[in-house]
Amino acid sequence: MAILCSSSSPSMLAAQRVPPSPAFSTKSIIRTKFLGISFGLTKPIAAVSNRRSFQARCQKDLAVVPLDQRWMFEESEADGPDIWNKTWYPKAADHVNTDKPWYIVDATDKILGRLASTIAIYIRGKNLATYTPSVDMGAFVIVVNAEKVAVSGKKRTQKLYRRHSGRPGGMKVETFNQLQQRIPERIIEHAVRGMLPKGRLGRALFNHLKVYKGPEHPHQAQKPVDLPIRDKRIQKQT
Amino acid sequence: MNKAKVFKLAKGFRGRAKNCIRIARERVEKALQYSYRDRRNKKRDMRSLWIQRINAGTRIHSVNYGNFMHGLMKENIQLNRKVLSELSMHEPLSFKALVDISRNAFPGNKNVVHAPRKVSIPVDV
Repeated sequence: MAILCSSSSPSMLAAQRVPPSPAFSTKSIIRTKFLGISFGLTKPIAAVSNRRSFQARCQKDLAVVPLDQRWMFEESEADGPDIWNKTWYPKAADHVNTDKPWYIVDATDKILGRLASTIAIYIRGKNLATYTPSVDMGAFVIVVNAEKVAVSGKKRTQKLYRRHSGRPGGMKVETFNQLQQRIPERIIEHAVRGMLPKGRLGRALFNHLKVYKGPEHPHQAQKPVDLPIRDKRIQKQT
Repeated sequence: MNKAKVFKLAKGFRGRAKNCIRIARERVEKALQYSYRDRRNKKRDMRSLWIQRINAGTRIHSVNYGNFMHGLMKENIQLNRKVLSELSMHEPLSFKALVDISRNAFPGNKNVVHAPRKVSIPVDV
C-alpha cells in the first residue's frame, strides 16, 4: 500500500512510537508497512489525552504462543493475532456498563425533536470513534424537567400521540397537551425511542435513557456530566 | 450434495431446518446464496463502518468527514479509510495531526449561503 504522508506527519507520528516492553525479544518487533514505523507487540495504549482515557484491550496473553503449541498456528500467526490489519472490534471489557459515562440534560425550553436527536446520538455511541453498530458502546443520559420541553408552532394542541390496544376499535388518540398533563416523561421517551434502532439492541439502548419530571434525579452517585449540545437551534426562540 | 453434507452445513439452524432434510436442504441453499452475496456486501459494509468511525473521530475536532477527506485529497495523503479509522481509535494525537493538516488545506465551506430560515413561528410553552 503506497503511503504518501506530508512531511510533518512522520515527525509527529514518530513521537507516538510505543516503546517495546522488555519482555519481548527484538525479533518480535514487526516492521509493518502500516505507517513505516515499527510497533512493539504491546497493547495499543491511548495517547496522553486528559479528556478521555481509552484503551483498546487486546488478548494480551495470547500475544506470544508457547513453544509447544506452535504447531497449531500458522507461520504468520505465530507471534499472535494480527491487530494492525484487521478492523477493531470491541471486546467485552471495552463496553462494560459500569465504566460508561453518564450525561445529564435539562429539557427546559428545548425543542423536542432536536433534543431527542442529540440524546439518541449519545445513547447509541455515534459520537465515539469506537462506534460499532452491533455493540452497545453508548453512554447513559438523564433528562430532567421533562414537563417543560418545548415544541414550535401549534404542535402543543395539534400533535397527536396514538396507541392501539390490539383489539378492534382500540385506537387511543391524545394530543401533546393531554399527554403532558398525564405522563410528561412519555413524550421524551417516545421521541427518543423513534430515533433509536428498532430491534433487540435498540430496546436495550432505550433502557439507558432516564427521564424525570422535576429537577431531581436519583443518579447523583454516577456523577453525571452536562451533555454537550452542538445544535444551535435547540433552544426555544423567545 | 448428499444429506450428510447438508446437515453439516445446517448446524445451528432453527427448528426443523437443522434436522429434517427437506427443510434443511432449502435453508442451506439459501444460506449459501446469502453467503455468496454477503462476501461482496462485507466489503461495502466495512468501508461504511470505517467512514462512520472517521466521521465520529473528526467531529470531536469540529470537522466533518466530507471536509476532512477533501482536505486530505488536496494534500495528496493516500491513507485509506481503514487505516484512518484505526488511527482515530488508537492513535488520537496522530489523528489530530491529520485533522489539522486537512483543516489547513481546506478550512471548510465558509462561503456557503444557508437557505433562508422559516419566519420565526411563535413557540408556545
